[in-house]
Amino acid sequence: MVDLLFYVAALVAVLTAVGVVLARNPVISVVSLLTCFGSLAVIYLLAGFQFLAAIQILVYGGAIMVLFLFVVMLLNLGGLSPEDEDGDDPLFHDRRRSAGGLAVAVALGSASLIGILRGARHLAEPANGYALPDEGFDALPALAEAMFTRYSLPFEAASVLLLATTVGVMVLAKRQRAVTPAGEKRP
Amino acid sequence: MNPFLIILIKTSVIYGGLIGAAALMTLAERKFSAWMQLRHGPNRVGPWGLLQPLADGIKFIFKEELCPDGANPWIFRLAPILSAVPAMLTVAVIPFAGNVTLFGVDFGNLSITDLDIGVLFLVAIGGLSVYGVILGGWASNSKYSLLGGLRASAQMISYELSLILIILCVVAMTGSLDLRAITEAQNTGNPLSWNVFSQPLAFLIFVIATFAETNRHPFDFAECEPELVAGFHTEYSSMKFALFFLGEYCAMIVMACLTATLFLGGYSVPFWEDAPWFIQLGTFFAKAGFFAFLFIWVRWTLPRFRFDQLMHLGWKVFLPLALANLLVTGAVISLA
Repeated sequence: MVDLLFYVAALVAVLTAVGVVLARNPVISVVSLLTCFGSLAVIYLLAGFQFLAAIQILVYGGAIMVLFLFVVMLLNLGGLSPEDEDGDDPLFHDRRRSAGGLAVAVALGSASLIGILRGARHLAEPANGYALPDEGFDALPALAEAMFTRYSLPFEAASVLLLATTVGVMVLAKRQRAVTPAGEKRP
Repeated sequence: MNPFLIILIKTSVIYGGLIGAAALMTLAERKFSAWMQLRHGPNRVGPWGLLQPLADGIKFIFKEELCPDGANPWIFRLAPILSAVPAMLTVAVIPFAGNVTLFGVDFGNLSITDLDIGVLFLVAIGGLSVYGVILGGWASNSKYSLLGGLRASAQMISYELSLILIILCVVAMTGSLDLRAITEAQNTGNPLSWNVFSQPLAFLIFVIATFAETNRHPFDFAECEPELVAGFHTEYSSMKFALFFLGEYCAMIVMACLTATLFLGGYSVPFWEDAPWFIQLGTFFAKAGFFAFLFIWVRWTLPRFRFDQLMHLGWKVFLPLALANLLVTGAVISLA
């Protein structure tokens, strides 16, 4: 039963992940990504990480994807799909760009594959410093203690990184907006 | 008895109760509004109009299904489901009463499941219902729907923050994310140990934020009929429209249950620590019923806010207050 559920969830995750890239309509992409996150949460649940599953849905499903959806919807109020405008498929429009994108995709994919394989090997041998607490990851007090004592510096660093990203995005967006009207006014 | 069967029975009873309560609440809404406006309200179908929800349901089924031109049909169909299902799922972690023994069979605690992360589950799944609103508004291909969807989702995200911070205060006081543990911590026989007395400000913010979170009056900018026709469900008809309403009423009922659990001790009976389960259940219904009534009461009493006032209230008043409340709670707990 658990195995079957895992395969279903994994299949849905992979299919929707492919759908994110292939869908023409960005809103469909967002919905696919949402489904992908949901099936990842199911996989976490099956592995016994209740907390992680809830956080996955709360943070990625509830907060980040809503933000994505906002951006996509606000940017696409005009033409719904790029295909409508020039009658050409943007994915294969520019050969060089497609090749570059493919190269990046292959590099990222192989990097994550190597990471997964190495990680799997490390998980198999428990004595490499990252000792699980006795109750497993799911025991919230253990998780909280690890996060706020031993790993508090990386935890805070990650939050500062996220904050910096947010501020950076706002600065970039602001600057673009400030330049455009001025540029239009010039003869 | 087979444990699987017990879970099945409990699940069907609780979900049947939820849907029945949602149907009754639509009737209650119309009845109370009628009484507040010196009218009779629906009184033709059944005694005192009690069968009106049933008649409404049959009517909804026989209405024509419409899908506007240029709408995305798949997302248009998905949106009502996404609105109703998360709202209904969240009831799974609400503890209605203690241990139930009926006809000599021990049914265990009266709730579908007592998750260790119950509050988190409720917030996470409940947060997904925003997709129904935003996708429904987008997929309808209508400016009124889109504006309503955008407003509603912006509002739900803003108020979710304060809501979660307030829940954190209660969680910090109890030291558990399990709603049953939170109830049991307040179930001391003394009503003064209910969280509403130790966290009055949190209680106030929470109740007001639930109104915004469920898109209810005075914060119902998702619909806002003078400006937006009916907001995100302008283009919906038939059972799809009914699903949006089912979702809204289920969300209201779950929020009422959650308020009762977090702040009024859930099923704990005043001055009777180990009351039998049916008395606990009755107490719970009385508390949750009051908050459900509050939703209706406020709707037919207060005028609607303006959208900028709502955002101002959410970000500049509630969020700092909730943060300060959490800070004080944390300080008191660590000093005590």
